Amino acid sequence: MSILETRGVTKRFGGLSAVDNVTIQIPEGSIYAIIGPNGAGKTTLYNCITGFYPSDEGDMLFQGKSLVGLSPDRITKKGISRTYQNIRLFPAMTAIENILVGAHPRLKSNWLDAILHTPRQRAEEKEALKKAQELLDFVGLKGKGDLFARNLPYGAQRRLEMARALANDPKIILLDEPTAGMNPNESVVMMRFIENLRDELGITILLIEHDMKVVMGISEFIYVLDFGQLIAKGTPGEIQKNPQVIESYLGRGAAGSA
Amino acid sequence: MKDLIKQGSRLGLIFGVVIIFLILFGLTTTLSDILGEFVNIESRTRTGNPAGLMIFFAILSLWAGSKSTSADRSNFKSALISGVSVSLIIALIISALILLVGYLDSIDVSMRDYLAQLDHLSVSFLLYGRELAAGVLITFGIFFVFGILGALLSYWYETKKVGEAIQKQAFILKDKALDSKLAKRYIEHPRAKWIGYGLLGLVILLTPQFLGKYWNYAMGTVGIYVLMGLGLNIVVGLAGLLDLGYVAFFAIGAYTMGLLTTPAPIALQLGFWPVLILSIVFAAFAGILLGIPVLRMRGDYLAIVTLGFGEIIRVLIRSDMMAPYLGGPQGVRDIAGPSLFGLSISSEKSYLYLIIMGILLTILFTNYLQNSRVGRAWMAMREDETVAQAMGINTLYYKLMAFATGAAFAGLGGALFAARNQYTGPADHTLMVSINVLSLLIVGGMGSVPGVIIGAFVLKGLPEILRELELYRLLVFGGLLVYMMIIRPEGIWPAPRRMMELHADEGDGIPPEEGLVGEEG
Repeated sequence: MSILETRGVTKRFGGLSAVDNVTIQIPEGSIYAIIGPNGAGKTTLYNCITGFYPSDEGDMLFQGKSLVGLSPDRITKKGISRTYQNIRLFPAMTAIENILVGAHPRLKSNWLDAILHTPRQRAEEKEALKKAQELLDFVGLKGKGDLFARNLPYGAQRRLEMARALANDPKIILLDEPTAGMNPNESVVMMRFIENLRDELGITILLIEHDMKVVMGISEFIYVLDFGQLIAKGTPGEIQKNPQVIESYLGRGAAGSA
Repeated sequence: MKDLIKQGSRLGLIFGVVIIFLILFGLTTTLSDILGEFVNIESRTRTGNPAGLMIFFAILSLWAGSKSTSADRSNFKSALISGVSVSLIIALIISALILLVGYLDSIDVSMRDYLAQLDHLSVSFLLYGRELAAGVLITFGIFFVFGILGALLSYWYETKKVGEAIQKQAFILKDKALDSKLAKRYIEHPRAKWIGYGLLGLVILLTPQFLGKYWNYAMGTVGIYVLMGLGLNIVVGLAGLLDLGYVAFFAIGAYTMGLLTTPAPIALQLGFWPVLILSIVFAAFAGILLGIPVLRMRGDYLAIVTLGFGEIIRVLIRSDMMAPYLGGPQGVRDIAGPSLFGLSISSEKSYLYLIIMGILLTILFTNYLQNSRVGRAWMAMREDETVAQAMGINTLYYKLMAFATGAAFAGLGGALFAARNQYTGPADHTLMVSINVLSLLIVGGMGSVPGVIIGAFVLKGLPEILRELELYRLLVFGGLLVYMMIIRPEGIWPAPRRMMELHADEGDGIPPEEGLVGEEG
């Protein structure tokens, strides 16, 4: 059964359909990828799913329930996390605080607990801090907890963003170009890391990626977007052979970089 | 050489113009009086103390002279040249002004019509009560001699490394003190922190006993501003919502206290303590009410709307329409004080204790809030509202809560303020209150509790100490704010977080984005 599903989602900006009648299905526990040239509408689709943009048409289902009309915080609380193409951490908060903010939906204490410093609140804080430390270790940032997010190196910021996205125990995580700006070695490390997320934590992964080695290396199934429309779908092997994809995406991409 | 003279003259010109302004505003008169009192010289004129004026001019020229050598302090000749050029220019400018003013005065031209501070008396004060020629010569002499002296002093200070020597001595003393047995025993003691807190508490507890009635009152006012500062700190510092109508909640707290405890205009006459709680609740509720319409506004728009809200409340309590319920321009009188454990609280001293209790509770609460899920949600919202929402934070709810929490503290401050003064009226709730509270945050250091306390002392306490300067408070305010923003944008005692924010770029000079690559790479 698919954990996340879109049915004919459409998003228009003025006359331009950034996302045009897109239907995708992500089965639970899988690693799926969305590829497409720049401006194909991949990130816009993410923004529709996570509630940043209201979609104009179609339906989006998470575990069988519609996400349409929900605000981003409600959608996150259901168990959908995401990262951003251009890293968006809270720059003037420490690494550990960033993760703790990510854990927000998981925590229960309210303002009254906070003001009165109730035992319940203290216990919860202690537990949350412990879990945040574990996540920090998990993404390889041990000992960097008290540094400001903005003072971390680029790669570390990417991983911190991922730790933050993991902090609320998501069921699915939407990654937006997780290996952007990384060299081949780092990309391989990131690939292993993403596979680990699925294998160890059982989190379903959907990723947008430009690096074909990464896409073909880890994804089980690929959707291809171009001009907002779904032009192809299939396993990595099928996509590599699909003439339409080669023409509209790989071909053009190769021409552009030559 | 040419450059030195040019530089020196430019500095002289700047100082000269500033001093002219000081004179024309009449600030010299008050400052001279303070200085005169300080050195215990009786004033002979009615408008000011000439000896104080001489000292004031001397200090100014010393300062200007010492600044003149900043280009090259280690070379005697250049120090002398720039010192002479600076002091010559200042001396010429100021003497010329005094000559002009004195001459105009002697031929009976009334300058008061244009410059309110320049009447016959203050002109004779500027001449030290002497003849025109003598006065001008003395002025020239003071500026010239002390300017050069200042330059030479700073040359001496620099070449003899006086500053470094003093610093070195201080370090040696500090090391010695830390090495001493007593200090070691104290610092290494596991309860050292608590002993420190205990001592601080004792000082706080005893201070009101030794202050007179007037000072207890003045410190009470400072305390109420500390309360409001702590509250606004949550709204502006933590949640990043610029609220310029903060006085509205102060007014609501004050009027709740006033209206519900007095026989007129509403005959309820409830007790102090339940009304204190009600004041806080009403203010918090008003915070939510204000919050709802402005929820989707950010930055400047929010500031303008809240500014308007503050004014609406003030106009409302002043208006004739509401006069039967709120007392109109006369306000609410005869607010009765509380009693605690059978003791009636009515003296300035006991109110100060009450306010201190309020502050301590507020500090405790804000500290807890800041380091909780709620505080983190506020900070995240301030950093990036969109992403904060994507983290599962209900930004609408947390914004309202920030407004309500900040307003609650202002309501507490207002209630205490009204009860202590036994009166509250529209004049207590002007826009100036909001500006004062925001300024004390900026001056003291946003997001820092000690900063808020220091800020309140600087902006509300100092004017009480320098009562004579009352007239120029706004001038000093403005100057201080501009100066702070340039020299110390993080405030006098900033939160460590904020200091790092503002000075992060000064570290290695490389923005983090360029420091690519993780460790495994």
